[in-house]
Amino acid sequence: MSVRIAAAVLLVVGAAAPAHAELYYVIVGGLGGEAQYTEQFAKDTAALAAVARRTTAPNRVTLLQGEGATREAVVKSLESLRTKAKAADNLVVMLVGHGSYDGEAYKLNLAGPDIDGDELAKLLTAVPARSQLVVNATSASGAVLDKWAAEGRTLITATRSGFERNATRFAQHFAAALAAGSADINKNGAITAQEAFDYASRSVADSFEKDGALATEHPQLKGGAAGRFTVARLASAGPPEPAVTNPAVAALVAEREKLDEDIESLRARRESMATDVYLAELQKLLVQLAEVQGKIDAAQPRPAQ
Amino acid sequence: MTARAWLGAVAACAAATAAQALTIEYSLDRPKELLACDEQANRGARAEAAACYRRLVTASTDSRIKADAARAAGDVRGANGFFQAALKEYPEDPALRTRWGELFAATHQNNEAIKLFEEALELDGTYAPAKIGLAKVAAGRYEEKTGEWAKQVIDEKPDEALEAYLLLARAALEDGAIDAGDDALDEALELAEDHDRSPLEIYALKASVDLLRNTTNSPWTQRALALNAGYGDIYAIPAHFYVITRRYREAIALLQKAVDIEPDLYTAHAELGQNLLRENKVDEARPHLELAFRGDPFSAVNVNTLRLIDSFDNFVLTPHAAKPAAPGSNAANNPGVLLRLHKDETAVLEPYVLDLVDRTIQAYSKRYNFELKQPVIVELYPDHDDFAVRIAGLPGIGLLGVTFGYLVAMDSPTGRADSSFHWGTTLWHEMAHVFTLEATNHLVPRWFSEGVSVYEEWSTGPLKGRHIPLPVFAAMKEDKFLPVAELDRGFIRPEYEAQVIVSYMQAGLICEYIAGRFGQEGLARMLDQFRDGKDTAQAIQGALGISASDFDEGFAGYVDSQLGSVVAQLDVWQEKQKDLHETVQSENWQSVVGKAAEVIELFPDYVDEGSAYIAKARAHRELGETALATSTLLEYRKRGGYDPDALIALARTLGDAGRSDESLDVFKDVLMVAPLRAEVHRDYGDRLMSANRPREALVEFQAFLAMNPQDLADAHYRLAKSYVALEDKAKGREHLLYALEIAPHYREAQQLLLEIVR
Repeated sequence: MSVRIAAAVLLVVGAAAPAHAELYYVIVGGLGGEAQYTEQFAKDTAALAAVARRTTAPNRVTLLQGEGATREAVVKSLESLRTKAKAADNLVVMLVGHGSYDGEAYKLNLAGPDIDGDELAKLLTAVPARSQLVVNATSASGAVLDKWAAEGRTLITATRSGFERNATRFAQHFAAALAAGSADINKNGAITAQEAFDYASRSVADSFEKDGALATEHPQLKGGAAGRFTVARLASAGPPEPAVTNPAVAALVAEREKLDEDIESLRARRESMATDVYLAELQKLLVQLAEVQGKIDAAQPRPAQ
Repeated sequence: MTARAWLGAVAACAAATAAQALTIEYSLDRPKELLACDEQANRGARAEAAACYRRLVTASTDSRIKADAARAAGDVRGANGFFQAALKEYPEDPALRTRWGELFAATHQNNEAIKLFEEALELDGTYAPAKIGLAKVAAGRYEEKTGEWAKQVIDEKPDEALEAYLLLARAALEDGAIDAGDDALDEALELAEDHDRSPLEIYALKASVDLLRNTTNSPWTQRALALNAGYGDIYAIPAHFYVITRRYREAIALLQKAVDIEPDLYTAHAELGQNLLRENKVDEARPHLELAFRGDPFSAVNVNTLRLIDSFDNFVLTPHAAKPAAPGSNAANNPGVLLRLHKDETAVLEPYVLDLVDRTIQAYSKRYNFELKQPVIVELYPDHDDFAVRIAGLPGIGLLGVTFGYLVAMDSPTGRADSSFHWGTTLWHEMAHVFTLEATNHLVPRWFSEGVSVYEEWSTGPLKGRHIPLPVFAAMKEDKFLPVAELDRGFIRPEYEAQVIVSYMQAGLICEYIAGRFGQEGLARMLDQFRDGKDTAQAIQGALGISASDFDEGFAGYVDSQLGSVVAQLDVWQEKQKDLHETVQSENWQSVVGKAAEVIELFPDYVDEGSAYIAKARAHRELGETALATSTLLEYRKRGGYDPDALIALARTLGDAGRSDESLDVFKDVLMVAPLRAEVHRDYGDRLMSANRPREALVEFQAFLAMNPQDLADAHYRLAKSYVALEDKAKGREHLLYALEIAPHYREAQQLLLEIVR
């Protein structure tokens, strides 16, 4: 039996889907082998689980860790999503632990027999959810960058190839990203895959620089939907806006969306405008946006946390 | 004996130079054919000499003569080829290998030169020119072996010892032993006359003796020029002694004269360029360095320095205007500051560097009764190798900062790990050098300038308390402090590995002793004495009224009273330190507390690597004893501890406990060691805003933004709040717009924008 830590697999279903879309998380935290890894992986999976439960209903969060994170358990939890998840749903998978690569095949190290990259790829593809985020935070995870790429799937790996074999720091920083206000670049109270990746990869690089060490891992992101895939809600953000039932509020929301588009359009023209002209126009739109938001908040105050 | 092929070594040289600066030949076995050409070269008939050498290259049947002639004619590649051929013909000739070694030495390939000199000595163990060759290489490195080789030649071959005396003379003059140097030159002169060798170099060193005795119009200069009107070294050699005593302006004047009369004296052009750079005259320096490079493409110093000048394109040179003291105020005149900071760091570092420089000007002007006469130039180098080239022309130097007068160059905080380099202290130290150098027209001896700088670090600098590295205590235990009158030797010609740092600390303690016994004005009076040209013993007598030997006695007693107990218990302390760290590994925190307390009691001032204060604070934290952890770190900080992680934790703990002023003071300390941690600027700025100090918060948030943090919207928002607090709505609005441009739904920023525009 392998004494290495099984990978922590965190499935987080994105909240960017339409209102009826569900968000599924599977988190696997395995054995660490050495005490420092056991402790670190346990901390990482606990942090990820807390984020998951804040973001979706607890019954859509699967946590596998320690001796419970076996190949059989991983297969069973992903296969169960074949029937539970629908095409419109979102799926997030996170692997935390030790991975290995022998030049041909990637393996995720679990308690008991390992699971290889090809088998995991098949299991992921079999889940009907069209929008997927897979975060492989293990060592040698870069080996799966090409093989796991798929339509509708955003893939994040801790390493750029299978040859970066040192135990990784990425999972710890990714977990921190999902809870950090400073990762929420657009301040909407939610962390997208892109925001989490940007924050975590910068943190990883900074941690090596602070230690005066050469980086032994270089996180990668593949797939075009990372900026739209919401992985987590921030605890500080409070509950999301309630669903709009009042026609007046619906009109305000529509106005807000129009202002968002106008701002986006103005930003696209920034280079061709003088700075003071640009800022004056931006200010007009932003003030209107702030006023509209104020009216929305007044019309339907958010429930207390 | 080896029949080694030296293919390609000197052939790696670039094309030979057409003109060749004068190399004076002294060896008594030099072939007479070459001596005839040398005679013309020595009297300045360069064209005739060159033709003479070229004729020998063509006509001589002896490949050894061809090689030497080619070298003298400036054909390095040709010379190398002839030497290679000659070695096959004359494998047993020590003179041949020696001459070839001299070619390598002349092209800065000292390791190859040494090998050839050693091979020559294997053939003839007393061959004087080979020993002289080894001595010259050692002299270039300021090694003690210079004297050893030279004395061997004097003992074994007194007739051939002319160059040995020259080397001993140079070393003596460099050490300040002027009489001994002069005596050695007299011996050299006698040998030159006896053996009909050129006295030009001897005259140049004699002129250096006069210069060091403050006679600038030396008769030896005219004697040399009468023999050879184009002998540039008559000025360049004395200039070297100005350079090593840090009188760069005087050196520049002499070096200019050297190149005026000998325009292809490339070594002088190189030195002139280097020294112009020390005066921040970059545009004037460059053409000399470029010329030096063309004439001597083998010199790594020239190449590196030119590359450094090119790299100045990556720096921003920012002048800060003079601030004259208001009439009747207590402030000192600030003549202005020029900062040269890397473009990636200038936005963050500039306010802190400027503030520190301002504070040193205020402090030192009063403490040393001297006002600066021109702006100070301060340069910070993120790349340590660039800094090393700036100061010595070659990478790999171990210093943190250097002062050339009004110009200070040092490592930037990014050049070193922030737990080991307190940049604020380094700048404080270097600024003290500006004052001690300029107040004495650069006549201050090295030991005193360093001593004042170290003493000021301890007493007025941003990091309080004495910081004495452990090797210094070991040296004190072995009674290795030098008499004060000899202390310069510890810096210039160290005899054991740690002697330089020991000398620094001894000098600092001496200045501390003077200030304590004779007052701060005692130090100022010492500077006056040095400015008037007094040596150390004379200065002590004149400024303090006691003899140097009485001073040494008093100082020894002072050291014993201050540090005797630490020295006596050093071994015990080290054992307990080791035991403490093993206990930390075992995480037995209760035991760590007790053991750390014992270690601290033995040596309370020790706050460097592995400090027991850090271990004790950690143990208290692990045991949930927050207040004790805090008080331990406060004591650590009071004694000058500066581990940034420890200080940041302390600052935050104090802030969270409502001890706002103390928290802010600690944050300020963190910036003196780790100014490039974005989160420190952010947190410090937040707490300054909470303490209603928006002007200072603004500086922090500007630095935070300049560091391009991940969350730019947040950085702009913080900056906007501080502008609004300062009632600068225009700037506040601007930064709010930038924040909202990134994050249009940023609620807090939206609210503030509405407040501003309504």
